Amino acid sequence: MMEQVTRGDIVLEARGLSREFAGRNESGLFRKKRRVRAVDDVSITLRAGEVLAIVGESGSGKSVLARMLARIVVPTEGELLLRGELIALRERRTAAYAGEVQLVLQDPFASANPVRRVRHSLERPLLIHGTPKEDVVVRAREVLASVALTPQDEYLDRYPHELSGGQLQRVNIARGLSVNPKVLLADEPISMLDVSVRLGVLNLLRELCDTRLLAMMYITHDIASARYIADESAVMYAGQVVERARGTRVMDAPIHPYTQLLVDSVPNPEKLSKQSSPTAHNVDSTHFNYEGCRFSPRCPQVMDICRGNQPPEVDLGDGHMARCWLSASDAQRTAVKILAK
Amino acid sequence: MNEDSLVPVLDVTNFSVDYGYGDDAVRAVSDVSFSLGRSQVLGVAGESGSGKSTLVYGLTRLLRAPGVITSGEVTLHLAGERNGEAFNVLTASEDELRQVRWSQVSIVMQSALNALNPLRRVGKEFDEVLRRHDRTSSKTARQERAIELLALVGLAADRLQRFPHELSGGQRQRVMIAMALALRPELVIMDEPTTALDVVTQREIVSELYELRQKLGFAMIFITHDLSLLVELADEIMVMYAGEIVERAPAVELHGAPRHPYTLGLMNSFPPLQGDRVRMTGIPGSPPNLKSPPGGCAFHPRCPSAHDRCRTQAPPLVAIEDGHRSVACWLHDSSSTEVVPVSLSRRAASRIGQGA
Amino acid sequence: MRSMRVPRSPKVLVGLCILGIFILLTLIGPWIAPYDPNDTSFVPNLRPSWQHLFGTTTLGQDVISQLLVGCRVTMVVGFIAGTLATIISLVVGLAAGYIGGRTDEGLSLLSNVFLAIPGLPLLIVINSYLPAGEQANPLVVGLVIALTGWAWGARVLRAQTMSLRDRDFVEAARIIGESRWRIMLGEIGPNLLPIIAASFLFTILYSVGVYTTLAFLGLTNVATWNWGTMLYWAQTNNAALANEWWWLAPPGIAIALVGTSLALINFGIDEFINPRLRAAGLTARQRRRVGMARRPRLGFTPVQRSEVRKKGASS
Repeated sequence: MMEQVTRGDIVLEARGLSREFAGRNESGLFRKKRRVRAVDDVSITLRAGEVLAIVGESGSGKSVLARMLARIVVPTEGELLLRGELIALRERRTAAYAGEVQLVLQDPFASANPVRRVRHSLERPLLIHGTPKEDVVVRAREVLASVALTPQDEYLDRYPHELSGGQLQRVNIARGLSVNPKVLLADEPISMLDVSVRLGVLNLLRELCDTRLLAMMYITHDIASARYIADESAVMYAGQVVERARGTRVMDAPIHPYTQLLVDSVPNPEKLSKQSSPTAHNVDSTHFNYEGCRFSPRCPQVMDICRGNQPPEVDLGDGHMARCWLSASDAQRTAVKILAK
Repeated sequence: MNEDSLVPVLDVTNFSVDYGYGDDAVRAVSDVSFSLGRSQVLGVAGESGSGKSTLVYGLTRLLRAPGVITSGEVTLHLAGERNGEAFNVLTASEDELRQVRWSQVSIVMQSALNALNPLRRVGKEFDEVLRRHDRTSSKTARQERAIELLALVGLAADRLQRFPHELSGGQRQRVMIAMALALRPELVIMDEPTTALDVVTQREIVSELYELRQKLGFAMIFITHDLSLLVELADEIMVMYAGEIVERAPAVELHGAPRHPYTLGLMNSFPPLQGDRVRMTGIPGSPPNLKSPPGGCAFHPRCPSAHDRCRTQAPPLVAIEDGHRSVACWLHDSSSTEVVPVSLSRRAASRIGQGA
Repeated sequence: MRSMRVPRSPKVLVGLCILGIFILLTLIGPWIAPYDPNDTSFVPNLRPSWQHLFGTTTLGQDVISQLLVGCRVTMVVGFIAGTLATIISLVVGLAAGYIGGRTDEGLSLLSNVFLAIPGLPLLIVINSYLPAGEQANPLVVGLVIALTGWAWGARVLRAQTMSLRDRDFVEAARIIGESRWRIMLGEIGPNLLPIIAASFLFTILYSVGVYTTLAFLGLTNVATWNWGTMLYWAQTNNAALANEWWWLAPPGIAIALVGTSLALINFGIDEFINPRLRAAGLTARQRRRVGMARRPRLGFTPVQRSEVRKKGASS
């Protein structure tokens, strides 16, 4: 009944996704609404049995991207393809789509209804997606086992506040898995958890991805955890993907100045360099540059061209991409100069 | 280490804190003793519920109800105008405490947004703090001092006119640090000041703190769950678990050669940024419930090296290796016949400075 | 159910007891009434005695029989009106708060209109249109009272729904594909229980008050017995001037007692329903037991030395 999936098949593809929000009003009598592009022209592919990590700080648009893929937020522009089929983004999300693409939220405590038992949050998705009533309890126990919450009876009748963060996040993952989705989007699934249980949840996600051939998107601000789990990583800054590569190249050989800064900023006792720690160019800047390169106000290597011109996506070979003028070819730079004249 | 660090700033002995009263009481901090030298940085590491925040809020008596201090002595060695005076925090009156807070001890909390009044400009907050300390100062003098303080943390003077919501998270936290330093305190307590920030901003703030400490010479207690951050910043690290200190050692040594299985587990909970990708396991199980802590060593249900003695007897914190570090673990008891795993033994000391 | 804990607070227990007595009287009042309340064959104006516990009226009727018989109608109207008003306010509040947009604008306008119109005059107008027979029908009167009493609850529930709407657990329900009405009733609804319960209690109180007022003004069928009509007859027969306190006081005290019991129960609602909200804080009694002189103040953690309890057999 189910079509055969092999590792590496493209399951979900986003092309040029953008999302604008109404920004803060300019002050003054005649207010003009500024539009803020939370996500700007992002294209990604999620493959069966692979983890794509999206790395970015808060405000980089990574959560909005995940919500667009889950179709909780409607994109302003762009296309979404599920197994090659174009999704009608303007229409209401169908139950079938919800059954195929699931999103796990960041805060395990907030995403569990405080007055509902674990049983409720596991059984509802099954009932919605057509599991016969008599099978529901069995299935709920199965998914609990698959996230290593056994014996199941200890958990089914608990209230959220009776569980620890790690256990609760496993329940959330189980809820997402219960409907057998093809795509699992995990929005900072470990950032609210106790340090000692984070790896357990990460390992669980990786195992689920491998055994069920899930196409997974792992969103994080922690580049080291992305390196640990991901097959491909993309770094987002101010709504754009600024660098992307397969394997650990993004962390091991970063090209974009922001990625370099990110990698250098991670506390790393192995190379104790208290004095010569890297510092962004302008720590006192709150603003993104929307005219040119968005990172230019903070970039340590900023050039004139960066301030007024959006850098192109530069292909560095082997699927390594950086959106930076430093990597751009001479031809690309000259094109801008000619246009300026 | 310079000689200053031998002069104590803070002495804590047998300090315990309960939440709740009478029969409902839950022990959150248990029998903690340590002392902190001048311009030293003490890192306190532990997970949520380990008692690390409770400890420092208890030390400053800022802990909210139903927190109660149930035992111990806390002595603060004052500096500045009251140089040399030993201040007993637990017997002090409210007025005495108020005089010491901020001018001698200040605290930076995790969420600057909650700590700053949203309806007040940043400049007004500075003015308040400075005026409370010195009522005779002129307004312009206070403003100059505020600008000076902002410059110290890398912020432009025009930030004084801003409201907290107009600043980014990193800028707000910088404002908090500048305010904490306003009255030149002897001790600054940082309760996860960078946890809510992204790594780049965290890096900037941590290196600024490092420089400020060099320049101004205050002692610091830095609380975080991120052990690797502490290794970079702190001189000495205390690891807490279930309200107790389980290990205490100079930062580099702790990182190079942890002695407590929990410390090792904590270190192995952070995937590294270099080297081959290998599967790591973190620590099995969940942090203990303080309402019903496991008997014996609180860590034994999650400990890979647990043996019979750990299940029945709680190990005391004892000095090991010539007394410059201590650990609460039966593996390192002189009478123990257990084989100490290599990763926790003295031999692992050679790992210091070496890439993992 | 584990979430429903037995309330420990004495306030709530007292409230529940009082309300329980009145509910019992509602059920059995007419049967235990010693006499027919309409019977005028007794000696008028008797002070309370063993024959007539609350005395008799100017017309020679037994007061306690009137009170017991009147209890049923008063309480039934109160509960019917309270239930109906709570249902209306729940539906309106949830829909306005969760769906938002046009729906919210329309429903908010409606509830604002009902809030702005003074309830009692409106009731008097509506009531005067009712046929005399219907004026005695508790269901009809309850419905009319509910129509004027739902708006306040709807506003509170709307506000709370709006704050819950953006919470992660609601989003999580949306992600798994839960339908709109399921989210409203199954996910948000249970979180509103404390507010629903509070608003239910207060609309009952409101309804009892309003119904009594209507009856006192002689706007309901004065031939049916309730606490309001008792006051109406007492008033028309100058009971106050004749210093017949035993005629005036019982219905007034009964209303006050019902009100008090509802208010007392309301104190315990949060504790009763929300499994998390039981504060770990201390009661004054606990504090005294451990010998603490005063309530701990912010920024001044108390020091309460006790024998150091050793954990395990260490040190």
